[in-house]
Amino acid sequence: MKNIVLSGVVATLLLFSGCGSPKPAEDTKTTEKPAETAQEVKAVETETVASENTTVDASSESSSSNSNLSMAEVESQLSPVYFGFDQFSIDSDMQATIEKASELGKNAAADFNVKLEGNCDEWGSDEYNFALGLKRADAVKKAIVAQGIDASRISMVSFGESNPVCSDKTQECWAKNRRVDFKLLP
Amino acid sequence: MKLLISLLFTFGLLFASDATIEVIKKVDTLPTIAVEDASISYNDMFKLKFYKALIADLNVISIFNVDRYHRKTHFNDTTVLVENKDMNYVLRYKMYEDDSSTLHVEMKLIQDGETVLFKSYRVNRKNIYMFVAHAMAYDINGFMGEPSVEWMKRKVIFSRIVGAKKSEIVISDYSLSYQHVILKNRFNIFPKWANKEQTAFYYTSLDSAKPTLKYLDTKTLKISNIISSDGMLVCSDVSEDAKTLLLTMAKDGQPDIYTYNVEKKTYKRETVYGGIDVNAQFMGKNKIIFISSRLGYPNVFSKELNSNEIEQLVYYGKSNSACSSNGEYIVYKARETSNAFAKNTFNLHLISMKTDFIRRLTATGINEFPRFSKDGDAILFIKNYKNQSSIGIIRLNHNKNYLFPLKYGKVQSMDW
Repeated sequence: MKNIVLSGVVATLLLFSGCGSPKPAEDTKTTEKPAETAQEVKAVETETVASENTTVDASSESSSSNSNLSMAEVESQLSPVYFGFDQFSIDSDMQATIEKASELGKNAAADFNVKLEGNCDEWGSDEYNFALGLKRADAVKKAIVAQGIDASRISMVSFGESNPVCSDKTQECWAKNRRVDFKLLP
Repeated sequence: MKLLISLLFTFGLLFASDATIEVIKKVDTLPTIAVEDASISYNDMFKLKFYKALIADLNVISIFNVDRYHRKTHFNDTTVLVENKDMNYVLRYKMYEDDSSTLHVEMKLIQDGETVLFKSYRVNRKNIYMFVAHAMAYDINGFMGEPSVEWMKRKVIFSRIVGAKKSEIVISDYSLSYQHVILKNRFNIFPKWANKEQTAFYYTSLDSAKPTLKYLDTKTLKISNIISSDGMLVCSDVSEDAKTLLLTMAKDGQPDIYTYNVEKKTYKRETVYGGIDVNAQFMGKNKIIFISSRLGYPNVFSKELNSNEIEQLVYYGKSNSACSSNGEYIVYKARETSNAFAKNTFNLHLISMKTDFIRRLTATGINEFPRFSKDGDAILFIKNYKNQSSIGIIRLNHNKNYLFPLKYGKVQSMDW
């Protein structure tokens, strides 16, 4: 009698232990697949629509407006190069900005020319200050030419202190105005 | 031997001209002058405006102690007002308007009860009344035997920054009481009178693809393009005969000085240094002074136009970045503090090319863009101090400075 009861309990236990399932592992597996599929489909649809179903005039407008947007978009990725007080040499911490600008110049902005705009802080509006702004633009030009950008794509202008981004009388604002901006040209 | 040396020393002192010593003498003995208004036209506000302009001019000529009470009288009264009986001079004037709205002014200068000077003026628009006041002060100055103040009658042209990449070009009188905006809503800088008569001017336009030098005739308002250059382009000076310009151009990003022949439309490079050479000014017909960074910092140099020899002119200071010359004198802008983290001071200094004479002309703020008057009597400059932009005048022989503040904007550059 005892033996039968004991065997029954053991059998029941074995039965229940066999029903246990590894739920977390199965859940992770099932969620991964749908996400991958959705991304691929979206990208293909957008490209197809842009190249079909447009007339000549509209397509030239749409393609030019697309390229204008692209130029503006690329330009917005070009950060200014900042300079020290009364300096026109490029600091080591600006090297990354130069490299990024050069990369963009060889890839996303390869079809555009660039105008380098040199600027100064508010200490003086005479010719010397304008020349200092120009030397800053020239330093950036030399740096991006050294990174492989064709010099014939680059023009320069100096605005002296006449193009400030801020007008507070603080060292932070003065530092922001001592800069060279990148402007793309078609 | 000792007697000879003393004699030579005394002889030398007799001929040394030191404007500072003369001024100390003069302050004690300036004659007094009162102004009596005998005007018979115009409202009280206009009469007061004219009176204030005249008082300001009499102060600027710096040869009188000027009484500041606005007193009224009749033009033909035989005696001066009782309040003015102890004045050395009384200036009595009468403004009146005729049927064609022409402003007439008659004036008499009275000394010891006698009229010693009588003059009359007229202008066809009353809004240029200040030029009458300038002419009156100029004539009184001449009558008193003082060196000419011709500059007082000349027009000033300046550019005023009103926003990022936006400026106005303004023609005014020296005191800024009259202002006429001749170009606006554009980015134009560095205006420069094209001739002695002030009937046209050059300026740099930054609105085009490249900086472009333009010429505007103020009578016809016609604009023509002169020359363009990548980088920067400024007309720094114009020769006496208006046929040659001194330009700063930056072909290939290299700022250098060029002479430009207006008739032949050709240019010639004058400096070859690889750094900064700017701000050239004629010193006589064949010589220029300019600013160069060839010593590692901006300083003042000179050069003969037909030679390559450069001479350093200033041996003081570590940053002298603007200059103007007249005869043997040079005025330059010197930076006196070099602080990246606070406001800096730039002052104007005057030196002689023939002696060791040196004098600081200003004391506080940012003082820049000095310009000698044609007669060398005064220096015009820009002052920015405590958020106020002003045009300043230094009367060299009287050791006095006067400031004329702008109501808005910041002066970028100017000429007179």
